[in-house]
Amino acid sequence: MNDEPHNQALSPGTRPRLAAKARVQTDKLSGKLVLLYPEGVLLLNETGAAIVGLCDGQRTFQEMVTTLSERYGSSPDRLSADVAEYLDRLRKRGLLDLISEGDGQ
Amino acid sequence: MTTKEWRRTLSQAGDLGVLHVLFSGGEPLVRPDLAELVAAAREAGLYTNLITSALGLTRDRAERLKAAGLDSVQISFQAAEASLADSIAGTAAHERKREAARLVRDLNFPLTFNVVLHRKNLGRLESIIALAEEVGAERLELANTQFYGWAFKNKEALLPTRAQLEEADRIAAVAKVRLRGKMDILYILPDYYGDRPKPCMNGWGRRYLTVNPVGDVLPCPTACEIKGLHFDNIRQHSLAWIWAESVAFNQFRGTAWMPEPCRSCDRREIDFGGCRCQAALLTGDAGNTDPACSLSPHRDVLNRIVASVQEPLESEGKTASSNASAWQYRINPGHSVT
Ligand SMILES: C[S@@+](CC[C@H](N)C(=O)[O-])C[C@H]1O[C@@H](n2cnc3c(N)ncnc32)[C@H](O)[C@@H]1O
Repeated sequence: MNDEPHNQALSPGTRPRLAAKARVQTDKLSGKLVLLYPEGVLLLNETGAAIVGLCDGQRTFQEMVTTLSERYGSSPDRLSADVAEYLDRLRKRGLLDLISEGDGQ
Repeated sequence: MTTKEWRRTLSQAGDLGVLHVLFSGGEPLVRPDLAELVAAAREAGLYTNLITSALGLTRDRAERLKAAGLDSVQISFQAAEASLADSIAGTAAHERKREAARLVRDLNFPLTFNVVLHRKNLGRLESIIALAEEVGAERLELANTQFYGWAFKNKEALLPTRAQLEEADRIAAVAKVRLRGKMDILYILPDYYGDRPKPCMNGWGRRYLTVNPVGDVLPCPTACEIKGLHFDNIRQHSLAWIWAESVAFNQFRGTAWMPEPCRSCDRREIDFGGCRCQAALLTGDAGNTDPACSLSPHRDVLNRIVASVQEPLESEGKTASSNASAWQYRINPGHSVT
């Protein structure tokens, strides 16, 4: 693959992007969203789904936090750590590419 | 089954709440309509995985599968070195598999590199991991051999020694940490050497079902090996009916069927009594506790097998033909699509 994901630490300008192998799908039984990837399923709760929905490789981490804080009416400082932790969990499972500042698309 | 019957089955699976389909076998590439079935599965909302030897995966076919929406590809390898891999496979397969892996990565499929581990390749685990990295696999499945069917007949040639295994466990654990976030390593422990059985299929009739090439619906891919179990067929019943009502699914579902020591065990909802096929094979009754559990009254059957393979490996040398490690190749493997 020519555009190597740069999986470094998260900074405000990092743009998270859902890995190509992962796909969001509605579970027909529960009506909830799930993240599907090779031989795996991750059930997404409401906030999880909101976070994953913003991992488009366009928005920066900071913009994601701003959007989420407006949506849920909580302070960006509070949210920031939680979102970072969630993204880190996705990254450790290989479900997220972190495109660092200055990298082309 | 016809293309139409498979399409209907896949659509029923989607309605039943199934999330993943594994096109496996046998060898799924022998079906010329595979791309059509993948498209039907995608239409049904399923995440589609191809589990293949990759022999027969031409560029044209791979592109058609891509266009049909295939989500991921798993290729089975036998080892990292062509000479060893080909002697295990019984045919010159290794270079073709490497070629196919390149093709799969070229087309941007996520690739799982699968190796069944046994006595002859376990000592070469480091080179296997290196090759998986080199071909750009995102996932590495290191599956210690499960001893059913053909593998059970050849267990003396395939079972590793305890020393071999401890070394492999260590190598896998180190690689897992080193490659975190880059290549996901699934190391499947060999249950002959464990104290507790594997939670086979995550519980019988709980998460998984298999539809074989003639349309029989099975609780696990090897359930056919259990004599006397009756399977219902997708040509006669809907998948939803079979999932809920089929005798084969209900026989070992839940915990009510369990004998002691499972019945009163606090792990009964964790490992579900282990593997029914293994219990049938080693004890003659699929309703017994899997002897892979040290609490099983039949554990000695397994201990005897394990004890018989502990002599050192030096005598085996590097060739596949020395006496202690000779095996029979499988002539005509059965087919099944999961
Ligand atoms: C039975 S094969 C069928 C699909 C295809 N022919 C292939 O080579 O992948 C499905 C998977 O099971 C693995 N496998 C085969 N025999 C096994 C055994 N005795 N224990 C564990 N895994 C096994 C293969 O490596 C492969 O990944």
